[in-house]
Amino acid sequence: MYLAFFDFFRALLNPNFDYLRFAVIAGILVGIIAPLIGTVVVIRRLSFIANTLSHFSLAGATLGVFLSKLLRGTVLAEYISVLWLGIIFSIIGTLMIDKLSRFYKNYKELSMPIVLSLGVALSGIFIALSEGGAQNLTNSLLFGSIYTVSKSDLILIVSISAFILIFIVVFYKQIITFCFDETFARVSGINVKLLQIGITLILALFISVFMEIIGVLLISSLMIIPVAASILVGNSFKKTITFSIVFSLLSVFSGFVLSYELGLPTGAMIVLFNIFILIVIMTAQKLFLRKKKKQIKKEVPNN
Amino acid sequence: MRVTVKDLSFSYTQKPVLKDVSFSLQTGDFLTIIGQNGSGKSTLIKCLLGIVKVPDGMIYLDDEDINSYKKLVNIGYVPQKADFNFEFPITVKELLMAAYSQFRPNSKFNTIINGLDLNRFYNEDINNLSGGQLQRVFIARALINDPKLLVLDEPTVGVDVDSLAIFKEIILNLKKEKITIIFITHDTFFTEGLTDYYLELDEVLNYSFYKAGDK
Repeated sequence: MYLAFFDFFRALLNPNFDYLRFAVIAGILVGIIAPLIGTVVVIRRLSFIANTLSHFSLAGATLGVFLSKLLRGTVLAEYISVLWLGIIFSIIGTLMIDKLSRFYKNYKELSMPIVLSLGVALSGIFIALSEGGAQNLTNSLLFGSIYTVSKSDLILIVSISAFILIFIVVFYKQIITFCFDETFARVSGINVKLLQIGITLILALFISVFMEIIGVLLISSLMIIPVAASILVGNSFKKTITFSIVFSLLSVFSGFVLSYELGLPTGAMIVLFNIFILIVIMTAQKLFLRKKKKQIKKEVPNN
Repeated sequence: MRVTVKDLSFSYTQKPVLKDVSFSLQTGDFLTIIGQNGSGKSTLIKCLLGIVKVPDGMIYLDDEDINSYKKLVNIGYVPQKADFNFEFPITVKELLMAAYSQFRPNSKFNTIINGLDLNRFYNEDINNLSGGQLQRVFIARALINDPKLLVLDEPTVGVDVDSLAIFKEIILNLKKEKITIIFITHDTFFTEGLTDYYLELDEVLNYSFYKAGDK
């Protein structure tokens, strides 16, 4: 592992390996932003929404691929943006989840698998209509391809990440109050509807921007798993967020090194390392609790 | 703060929940709202807090229609514990600072923290607190922005007997400060001696509003 790190950092300093540096910067940004958004998603018990939206925005992105192919050679082709179609579909997906959930009183979560299925079905059709011409792009949308980040992609990723960070810092207090206690937030005069729209927009932007580099199938795990691990060790909000970012960045770096050495997909390796951290924490917690119980038993012997 | 409710009716789609409810409170009054589940207590509170929209002319806060009332920071709210999203770690300090309208705690903020004796567990995760401690945190959160009206929704549920005695003293002090208090409960034992008025609601849309000791 030590040698692998050494190899990877030597490659990172190689002046010919711009693509590697771009990938690492994108990886660091996703490592910081994903658990921040993930925290909001987890507290609001919306973990499945992220997964649903990423699948639905895939429909938008693949529609973009199909339209680019259809309109190739015309002026209109220049205006087709896979990214913006992904964002628009994310927003449409959110609205659909909201509208569909109103049809049910006790099964509100049913709206999510419905929207997810629609997204996957539409994506399947758009991919088929693109007739293999865009196979590479479709493949990277599904599983991610972090090494294809270009300079212009990176500028967009940095700008969107900065926008998301500023939003979170500016509305930090309102977001915390809203996440933990929506009724209290309303009574305190927080414009809950506007805040909800803002959070949804942030989620849609994040998913659409990072979809191509991490992959639709993995993007939501980057948001959820570091937070799932940090809840088990944090005892304050700030510490829990800090832990989640540390776990996330650790997974990003390890994922890069492992995938570089083993020639396996980076997104998948990052997610696997995230799950590895989660399992280590769960096991350590179980052992610690068992030890504590034994200690208590020793201190308070049965009569 | 004065609270006036005039012929308030409210229904969810087809089902009426409140019908022609009227009452008024002067600054510093204490009202206890009682009624079984489904009697419309929670709906009445939602109307009073502006969470659900009511037609103009039904609720006035200090003579201003609730639909045009902007100074929401004047209303303190202690929710039912079930409304809070537990499990994610957050300390008492973090929760209070997020709800606080200022950037740094002022002397009034510190007085509330000391008065409610939150110092002992100020940096504790709220998920580790007892029912009584948690209730004090929620009361502090409702008071830090200096409210003129305090609404407490079933605040005695799950609170141990010792904490109830402390809680009663806190409420008594708030009453002395002339804060108008609306207290929703199943159990009138706690508010005896504190309350000025009762509002009783039932499942068949009847209500009665009366002065303490009149019934």
